[in-house]
Amino acid sequence: MIDSLIISFQLSLMTTVILMFVALPVAYILAFKNFKGRTSLEVLVALPLVLPPTVLGYYVLLLIQPHAWLGQTWQSFFDSSLAFSFSGMVLASVLYSLPFAVQPMQQAFRAVPRAWLELAKIQGMNLKQTFRHVLLPASKGGIWVAVALSFAHTMGEFGVVLMVGGSMPGETKVASIELFEMVEMQQQSDASILALILLAISFVLLSLVYSVNRRSSWVSS
Amino acid sequence: MKHHIDINARFGSLKLDVQVAFNHELIVISGENGAGKTSLLRSLAGLKKVDGSIQINQQLWLDSAASFLLPTEQRKLGFVWAGANLLPWLNVKQNLTLGGRKYEYFESILEDLALISLLERQPSMLSTGEAQRVALARAMYAKPSLLLLDEPFSAQAPDMRHRLREVLKTWQEKHQIPVLLVSHDVEDAKVLAQQHWYMREGKLLKTITQKYMDKVKTND
Repeated sequence: MIDSLIISFQLSLMTTVILMFVALPVAYILAFKNFKGRTSLEVLVALPLVLPPTVLGYYVLLLIQPHAWLGQTWQSFFDSSLAFSFSGMVLASVLYSLPFAVQPMQQAFRAVPRAWLELAKIQGMNLKQTFRHVLLPASKGGIWVAVALSFAHTMGEFGVVLMVGGSMPGETKVASIELFEMVEMQQQSDASILALILLAISFVLLSLVYSVNRRSSWVSS
Repeated sequence: MKHHIDINARFGSLKLDVQVAFNHELIVISGENGAGKTSLLRSLAGLKKVDGSIQINQQLWLDSAASFLLPTEQRKLGFVWAGANLLPWLNVKQNLTLGGRKYEYFESILEDLALISLLERQPSMLSTGEAQRVALARAMYAKPSLLLLDEPFSAQAPDMRHRLREVLKTWQEKHQIPVLLVSHDVEDAKVLAQQHWYMREGKLLKTITQKYMDKVKTND
């Protein structure tokens, strides 16, 4: 049980860290830029919200199997299979949790008062400085929400990680899958403990999200 | 004339259409609400999209015929909004040095604007007038190429207003920086203006020069 919880934690942590870097530019573009294909990008980002996780897992699996281009490239670089590996699960999780990182950031960016962004320009700041000194501090709340939701959502994955990871004990078997297997094998007491732990984690993370949301509004203060 | 403006644009019902040239002067702009005063300042700052051309200090900022636009962040501007526009998570000093501009005369401006004792304060602990003076100092100390002021004294008590006018006047004479000051206060025009522009419906109705005003003053 500990093994699967640790794997879940590692997976969520890795996914969240990667997502912060991936989601930041995407959220920025969606919040401020108008361009052709904007709607497509928005739909693409939101797709994991409605797609059956097994469908996403299926396509990721197609992409990373040893003779597919991504799987092959990976194999030649790292000499190991991406399919049914921890790294493969990270890739799938990044895609699966993308909307949970992008959308709160995008909303937070949009809520930054226009005057603050204009001030950044007046003060001669370039994009990097504007991010560092204005945009990120002004949307701190939204970014913490993105972190918490990405982490919690990855902890709660089931279908995607089962498809891509294959539930190998000690490697790709995460807590949510182990719970399923415990119930299947009628290990009621273990199952109840694991379920309770997962419930507690989600509860704590969501509590953080809501309290951050309430406290971090610069605009109203 | 060192600076040339020839711009036009339509913002909703307002048709902005301004052609004017000026030197390193302190210019007061007045006119009714909705006359386009703020729009003019924002256009010069590059925060509103306009057609035409802007040239300040032999530097081209806008030439829409040649599709040239110098981005706001490269114009080295000072701009004081009608609201102070301080970032709430930074203290006064951090707000002043935002963007890491090089500065000279920092101390003397802080002293002139009565800000020395407020440097460590958070914006939420400032009065509206104090916040406005911070914004003014931020715009002034970096020696901008052009200083745009939108009702910069509106939140000040009469004494402080008087003092700020003197500070601004001395600063402008010393550094020879063009200043456009939007104000409804006739006293601002009387004390400060080397030129007075009156705006109506997006146009400069008349520009009154120093000579004329000297005449008015001597007639008073």
